[in-house]
Amino acid sequence: MLNIKTIDDTSINERVYQLNLGPQHPSTHGVLHLLLKLDGEVVISADPIVGYSHRGHEKMAENRIWEQFLPNTSRIDYLSGLIYNQGYCMAVEKMCGIEVPERAEYIRVITSELNRISSHLLGIMAFVMDIGAFTPFLYGWDDREHVLDILERVTGSRLTYCYNRFGGVRNDIDQEFCDGTRRFIDRLRGRFKDYHNLITENIIFIKRTRGVGIIPEETALEFGVTGPSLRGSGVAYDVRKNEPYSVYPGFKFEIPVRKEGDVMARYQVRMAEMEQSMKIIEQALDGLPQGPIRARVPRFIDPPAGDCYFAFESARGAVGYYIVSDGTRIPYRIKVRTPSFSNLFVLTRILPGNFIADTIATLGSIDVVVPEIDR
Amino acid sequence: MNINQLPFINEIYGFLGRDLVAAVIGILIILVFVPLNSAFLVWVERKVAGHIQLRPGPMEVGPHGILQTLVDAVKLMSKEMITPKLADKFLFWLAPIIIIIPAIVCFVVIPFSPIMQVREMNVGILLIFSFSSLTVLSILMGGWASNNKYALIGAVRAVAQNVAYEIPLLLSTMSIIIMTNSFKMSEITAAQSTVWFIVYQPVAAIIFFISTTAETNRAPFDLVEAESELVSGFHTEYTGMRFALFFLAEYTNMFIAASMGAVLFFGGWHGPFFPGLIWFVIKVYVLIFVIIWVRWTFPRLRFDQLMNFAWKFMIPVAMLNLMITAVLLKVL
Amino acid sequence: MKSTSGLGEAIKEILTGSKSLVVGMGVTLKRIFMPIVTVQYPRRKLTMTQNFRGHIEAIYFDDTKSHHCVACGLCVRTCPSHVIKVQGEKEKAGGLKYGQKYYIDFTKCSLCGLCVDICPEKAIKFSHEFELAYLSRWDGVIDIMKRLEERQ
Repeated sequence: MLNIKTIDDTSINERVYQLNLGPQHPSTHGVLHLLLKLDGEVVISADPIVGYSHRGHEKMAENRIWEQFLPNTSRIDYLSGLIYNQGYCMAVEKMCGIEVPERAEYIRVITSELNRISSHLLGIMAFVMDIGAFTPFLYGWDDREHVLDILERVTGSRLTYCYNRFGGVRNDIDQEFCDGTRRFIDRLRGRFKDYHNLITENIIFIKRTRGVGIIPEETALEFGVTGPSLRGSGVAYDVRKNEPYSVYPGFKFEIPVRKEGDVMARYQVRMAEMEQSMKIIEQALDGLPQGPIRARVPRFIDPPAGDCYFAFESARGAVGYYIVSDGTRIPYRIKVRTPSFSNLFVLTRILPGNFIADTIATLGSIDVVVPEIDR
Repeated sequence: MNINQLPFINEIYGFLGRDLVAAVIGILIILVFVPLNSAFLVWVERKVAGHIQLRPGPMEVGPHGILQTLVDAVKLMSKEMITPKLADKFLFWLAPIIIIIPAIVCFVVIPFSPIMQVREMNVGILLIFSFSSLTVLSILMGGWASNNKYALIGAVRAVAQNVAYEIPLLLSTMSIIIMTNSFKMSEITAAQSTVWFIVYQPVAAIIFFISTTAETNRAPFDLVEAESELVSGFHTEYTGMRFALFFLAEYTNMFIAASMGAVLFFGGWHGPFFPGLIWFVIKVYVLIFVIIWVRWTFPRLRFDQLMNFAWKFMIPVAMLNLMITAVLLKVL
Repeated sequence: MKSTSGLGEAIKEILTGSKSLVVGMGVTLKRIFMPIVTVQYPRRKLTMTQNFRGHIEAIYFDDTKSHHCVACGLCVRTCPSHVIKVQGEKEKAGGLKYGQKYYIDFTKCSLCGLCVDICPEKAIKFSHEFELAYLSRWDGVIDIMKRLEERQ
């Protein structure tokens, strides 16, 4: 784009004005405040201001026993609630040395991948809506409705789940779930053709997204970007492959990677990831073992003193739970490393020099969930 | 045929003058028709948008939601008309007025049927173009007077966009005008009694439709009021009846653009069995349906791409089309 | 449209671009004629699945002709939002307690299910009620035992 020399805050330039892409805005996904300094339509500097939805999850963790933190985990990132649930249970199980039965692991993987599909559907379609096409948003929600129905039949909730427990899962899945999931996968594969025709091939969409919002590889690594934003810039890093956990080593799936690093690349990575998730689900359904779904765990657990870090891959990137226990029933500290925090701040480096319309496209393509930033 | 040649005018014109009575009756009919038409179009847009998006649209108020716009209009009229404290009060008040009056005036020359045209002017098309250019002035006034950065950005974009897309609009219309040698809308309609002009001028038709979509600030050229970026653009600060006037003006402009398209390219009121008025209305509403359909399908163009598209693609193609038409008319 | 390399490229781009636009319009036109997927809620109601999480309710047991709650207090201790209050009384000394009152403040419940899981008598379960609009905050405080009696 244009060659902009950086202007520091103390310089007075009468052409530069300040615009609040404010906390209340139709297209920042949540209460995000982006302070833009603009020269006409070109962005000079971008400064995200976070903290508007701080709810104190990590402080709440210091006042509740280990089991009582489970509902909190779903609400940190409400779009990947099951994945965060699973991660917390696995972190505590790692610290206590609890063995999870294999059927429970498979169920966890299936439900987490379904959650990943629903999160990607929402993220992609909300991004397309920001660009201006309103209808693919509703087509995506129609598909998402089917996923939520499937998950509701098993877990009972649609958005914020509290389904995993220490040692396994709460309810068992039945044959109807497996059939419904397979039907859904076939249906979604048929719908990809419609999305391809309506969005990906559309010349206006291509013009809006190709070459826009490029995150160079070094910048991405410098800021700690993870998830589809990193894989769209050429780095093949996925926690499920590089630091495998649960039964993921048993499945054959690929990590889609694109080299360009622009908005179109991230969009394509997300669409391809949905396909890979469907492959994982199919393999898991084929190989589902019989057995118990929950290990025998005391009612209120007493973990040994010590700390533990466990990383896993949510729909947005690599999440980490750092758990410190002092031997009692109440955690000493739970720290959650969320991917949206690092992903958002890469905007301070890549936005200057672009137009406002590109700002919105880039922000949408990074797929930020603001409550995850503020916890 | 003109409205003042109808038989009963002779009885009622009295000492006022035939033309004045005809004009007054015509304007009254238009003033009744315009709000009803806009209300109907809002309902049509919401229903079409709903069915494209797999949902039914308004269904509660009236059968299938037909009275929804009426209820919305009552709601808008009952809301407070807020003026921001540091706004330029005169321009803020004036902007919605200036956007609706030219739209109503343009109806004067549209030939709804062989006998229904309020005034037959020999510069009919020129009148419509000049009055619809006034919308740019109103948008700029609204955006500037609001004292709001979002509104200002929207207004500035609107000025550049409208000025840029006027030119291909005029050039494509010129291709039709040199074929019929007249600016009168009724003569252009009469000249299409055998073959519609879209058969002779498909390129001009496409350019015309793209340009009118850009002129009326509809998607995919609606960066001016892009909801996801600018929170409503130039009418961010307008509430109540003022917002209703902007809204009304948008749909009225859409009707005028579609009726111009019907007159220039699709034969106006010509058609086999039904009277002319019904064919005209059908054609106009089919074109409006296409405009609505396009809005809900495509994403928005970015602003520099929009301007590049106008200056580097549309204008050369329109000029080329005009030159080829002129050469062919001379040769054939 | 900017042409980056030559007129031929530009014309090809225009043609593929226009074709993509027309194809996109075909997709939306097809959808207009497909049936709608939404349900007009007050006119037509859906039934919830078996595992649906409404507020807690007591299960009816035939042997006591009522509930099985022994007022042990495990659900009170395990609730993250401190929503439950239980009160019980003993019929005779040395016997089991029997729950008399069981209040939940549903305005604070997060539907996590920890109370249902931890109950040693399996006396509570999720109900299927979702039409819960209150006019005052205190209508959200539900007495489960009274509801069980009313249902019988």
